[in-house]
Amino acid sequence: MGTIALTTAVIAAEQLTKWYGPRLAVDRVSLAVGPGEIVGLLGPKGSGKTTILRILAGYLRPSAGTARISGLDVVDDALASRRRVGYVPEDAPLYGGMTVREFLAFMGRLKGLATAGLPAAVDAAVERLGLGPVRGIQIGRLSRGYRQRVAIAQALLGSPDLLILDEPTNGLDPRQIIEMRELIRSLGGERTILVTSHILGEIERVADRVAILLDGRLLGVHALRAPSEGQRLRLHVRGHEAGVRACLARVPGVTAVGVEGTSATSVATYVVDAEQAVAETLAAALIAGGFGLLAMEPAPVDLETLFLRLTGDREAATR
Amino acid sequence: MRNFLTLLVKEEKAVFSSPIAYAIVAVYLLLMGFTFTLMLFLNRTAELVRVFFQAAVLFLLIVPVVTMRLLAEERRSGTLELLLTSPVREIEIVLAKFVASLTLVLLMLVLTASDAIVLGIYADPDWGPIYSGFLGLLLLAAALAAIGLLVSGLTSNQIVAAVVAMGVGILLWMIDSIGYLLPDPFDTIVTSLSLVAHFTPFATGALFLSDLGFFLTVVLACLLLTVRTLARR
Repeated sequence: MGTIALTTAVIAAEQLTKWYGPRLAVDRVSLAVGPGEIVGLLGPKGSGKTTILRILAGYLRPSAGTARISGLDVVDDALASRRRVGYVPEDAPLYGGMTVREFLAFMGRLKGLATAGLPAAVDAAVERLGLGPVRGIQIGRLSRGYRQRVAIAQALLGSPDLLILDEPTNGLDPRQIIEMRELIRSLGGERTILVTSHILGEIERVADRVAILLDGRLLGVHALRAPSEGQRLRLHVRGHEAGVRACLARVPGVTAVGVEGTSATSVATYVVDAEQAVAETLAAALIAGGFGLLAMEPAPVDLETLFLRLTGDREAATR
Repeated sequence: MRNFLTLLVKEEKAVFSSPIAYAIVAVYLLLMGFTFTLMLFLNRTAELVRVFFQAAVLFLLIVPVVTMRLLAEERRSGTLELLLTSPVREIEIVLAKFVASLTLVLLMLVLTASDAIVLGIYADPDWGPIYSGFLGLLLLAAALAAIGLLVSGLTSNQIVAAVVAMGVGILLWMIDSIGYLLPDPFDTIVTSLSLVAHFTPFATGALFLSDLGFFLTVVLACLLLTVRTLARR
């Protein structure tokens, strides 16, 4: 993780450790996240994701180690660092008795927004999250999806450097989940986002990088949207499997060819790893070889495999 | 200060938008009116000592109900996490909740002042004990509110908070009784912890700095402990 200088990092956690009584919840986790990045924290329930978020948000104090938000220590500069963070706890706890507007105004005041600019800031958050139709409605009467959006609107008040979202798609219906993913992706770039999930697919779809946690330990941080060096493509090709494999492997730059599945119609799915852009040459080679190229698409890093490999390694190591 | 006022407005709204507050005030006024009428027509004396003691005993039961939700509800619903990750100090949260709960008590006391006004119209009461009695009630209520707030901060269950705070309040109210069984110096220590021992002088018109100091100490200690429970995390 040495790629981000600690001085410019929005999150700089070093050897973060948290004990709950005798139980070690977070074990020497170090993490650096730069401006505009979306980083996913992935791990099974109880792996320490929420504890890390709570330390960064200033809710919990680390037992050992340090964490800085935009250079401000979460313990020594607690109030200043909390001003840089917008935090949405799991299950979006909100004051059900307040209307959306009242709640956002209340949170805005707590975050130190000037009274004069408060209505505009609240309106902007309402607009950004599409809360216009429900702005005057009591939060307790809102659907789960709207509540989640209110919680995010609250977190955006005061333009924090870092947005922390704990399991933001929990309890949402499929349509709301898709909307939430789009929202998270659209919020990235403007600011740094740290998002957790115990669902691989969720992280895969929204994050630039994923940090994998197990039993409080950080197993690894992996780039999901790899920069231009290296490429992974998924191809659907009709033809004799061995022949296709040989044809693909001969293309310059290809480092590995895998087969994912074969169907009865002799169409198979191949995953090709390459150290450079090879899409055009692959297509040309297949056509020249007389195979039917049905589809070709970029394949993201297979998080599931990565996760199983990392957690499997760890289980093997502790055995 | 701005944070405190923001939090205070939120707490006041929460207190006065809840039906609990109105039920409490209504029941309190009914019982107090009953006592005042009875006292007036049976004793025919222009004083409020009995009314003050009646109010004090009601406060032992009522104030924990006012304070039970203050922190327990925030903890249960998770909103405490929202508050504590905002750039506000724990003491601002605690003070806002304390002052908001005391506002309701103050309202009850102001309404009870109607008893004193009735006495003033139809008789010529000794005003000294009446003023000191109200001051004593306010101090007692403040101590009970601080105890209630502390207990509410230790649990996420409102009923547990109410019952434990009631237990602590009632025990402190009557703890001087056990002083008779204890050897010196424990009897004095126990007696000096008693709420009734420090409240009685106020109700009967005797003002002692030590009694004032006692109630203020209880309030301060409980509020500081509440801040500690919020900060320890």
